[in-house]
Amino acid sequence: MATETGSTTEEARETASPSRLLDHERKEWLLSRGLWLVAGALLVFLWIPLAVMMFLSFAVNASTIFPFRGFTLDHYAATFADGTLMFALWNSVQIATLSAAIATVLGVLASFALARYDFPFKELYRTFGILPMVIPGVVLGIALLIYFRTLLGIVPGFLTVVLTHSVYGFPFVLLMVTSRLYTFDESLEEAARDLGADPLTVFRDITLPIVAPAIGAGFLFAWIRSFEDFIRVYFVKGTMDVLTTSMYSMIKYGTAPKMNAISSFIVFVIAAVLAVAMNVGNVAGMVAGTEEDS
Amino acid sequence: MSVDSPRRSETLRQRFVGAFASRGTRLSITAGPGLVWLALLLLAPLTFMVTVSFLNVNDAYQIVWQPSLENYARLGADQGAFWNSAFFESLFLSYFIAAVTTVLCLVLAFPLAYLLARRGGTTFKVVIFLVLLPFFTMYLVRAYSWYLMFGQSGVINSALLRLGLVSEPVGLLSYGVPAIIVGLTHAYFPYMLLSLYASLEGLDFSLVEAARDLGASRVDALKDVILPLVLPGMISGSLFVFVPALGAFITPRFLGQGKVLMIGQLIESRINSLYAIGYGSAASMFIVLSIVVAFVVAFRYVSIEDLGGV
Repeated sequence: MATETGSTTEEARETASPSRLLDHERKEWLLSRGLWLVAGALLVFLWIPLAVMMFLSFAVNASTIFPFRGFTLDHYAATFADGTLMFALWNSVQIATLSAAIATVLGVLASFALARYDFPFKELYRTFGILPMVIPGVVLGIALLIYFRTLLGIVPGFLTVVLTHSVYGFPFVLLMVTSRLYTFDESLEEAARDLGADPLTVFRDITLPIVAPAIGAGFLFAWIRSFEDFIRVYFVKGTMDVLTTSMYSMIKYGTAPKMNAISSFIVFVIAAVLAVAMNVGNVAGMVAGTEEDS
Repeated sequence: MSVDSPRRSETLRQRFVGAFASRGTRLSITAGPGLVWLALLLLAPLTFMVTVSFLNVNDAYQIVWQPSLENYARLGADQGAFWNSAFFESLFLSYFIAAVTTVLCLVLAFPLAYLLARRGGTTFKVVIFLVLLPFFTMYLVRAYSWYLMFGQSGVINSALLRLGLVSEPVGLLSYGVPAIIVGLTHAYFPYMLLSLYASLEGLDFSLVEAARDLGASRVDALKDVILPLVLPGMISGSLFVFVPALGAFITPRFLGQGKVLMIGQLIESRINSLYAIGYGSAASMFIVLSIVVAFVVAFRYVSIEDLGGV
């Protein structure tokens, strides 16, 4: 993109016509328009499959747009009346909440250790803390399945999924909270101590309020990761079903109407949550790893 | 209310604070639980998996504790030369798909990240919302949405036919490698975008202006000023696309429809249908090794903190 425009600028320089200034302006204009065009095309690319799916979730003919036979809410009604699917959804919510809670407690404690204290093998600890996030789901899933079944003799089920996701969610909490602690102005704590506050008061009145948004974001991330995870659950779930594994079999056995409806419903819920979160806190900064308070 | 109780709570409080005054206690309370968890649920399973890859499993699915390389030999042994075996074919295919996906993400994300870094206000908020929403949407849902689009009778083909643009379904739009690459690019594009954005956002654009003032062309400015400064973001973004793309399972399963076997699917099928934990473990070692190599290379340019946030 930028390369093409760059070379044309070069050509313009070589010819060096009297109207060079105007040319230059037009090039700037073209460049910025081009950039917007690419950006627009990308947003279309990101959105078109989801938009089509949402459209189909309201269409009578649920698998393809043509021939179009009108709109209906029947697919949604059928989806919410599906007891097995709703039970799987309930499992997912329970697992995500439990495992994100464990990940948050462990992650917040570990963040303080990493950000505040020096100890042997600190870098190794940090690397291991981030590993569950980067190791492919297939590998972690299989490793844990073999470990639970063959070495520990635990029958896969609810417990094994919660344990698996608590490890999987740990890095998200760790990264968010440590980055917050690194940018934290520790002189605030010192000031409170100098004014006579004991360590517990300092923690409650100074440290916690400043770190709380990062803890919340970490919990939310761990929750979402658990909720949307398919591959790790798939290996360690045993006979239990969660939302993603139910959806997987729905796609596999071709039940498009319910799949469109539940998928679209999830997009709507996430859109609402995200819109609220973006107006409350600095979600973009949290995700992109930049700390600009807005 | 007794006079006693506040004093007792104070001593409890002091005792709690006193415990935290000791360095050892402080460390074991903060770092300890995470350490136990990681040791039990990450280090132990991975170590066990490495061990199993060097052992044999008998007909009763029991591990025979005797070192052997048989699992590794079996990976390359099912069809003539080792590179023709099912395992290595799908390993190389996975590398190819992951690499193409990474390059595509990089090329596509750069202009958008640049635009976001230079723009603020409402435009920024709207665009970032439009990018983040697909990012937060379930991975499975996004793979499924492309599943609807592709295929002989998928949405794109039926729309093209209906509009009379083509007379028969376009082969490129049926399920297969191109569909998988599109699906994976869609799935991991936001990671790349956010990594690039994070480093472009911290970039001092007056440096670019200075270079331009001193006579650098746009290409020079991009090559000599922007790219070196954005390199860490490009590398960490590439890691976050390449690594999950290599181990992808759902996307190739639905967008390949049996025509394409990526490494994740191959391992899954052996584990789930045969409980072939020896084969699966040995095969997984190749994924793990590839990733270790990718990270070692990447860490020459970025630090682990640069990977944060995403």
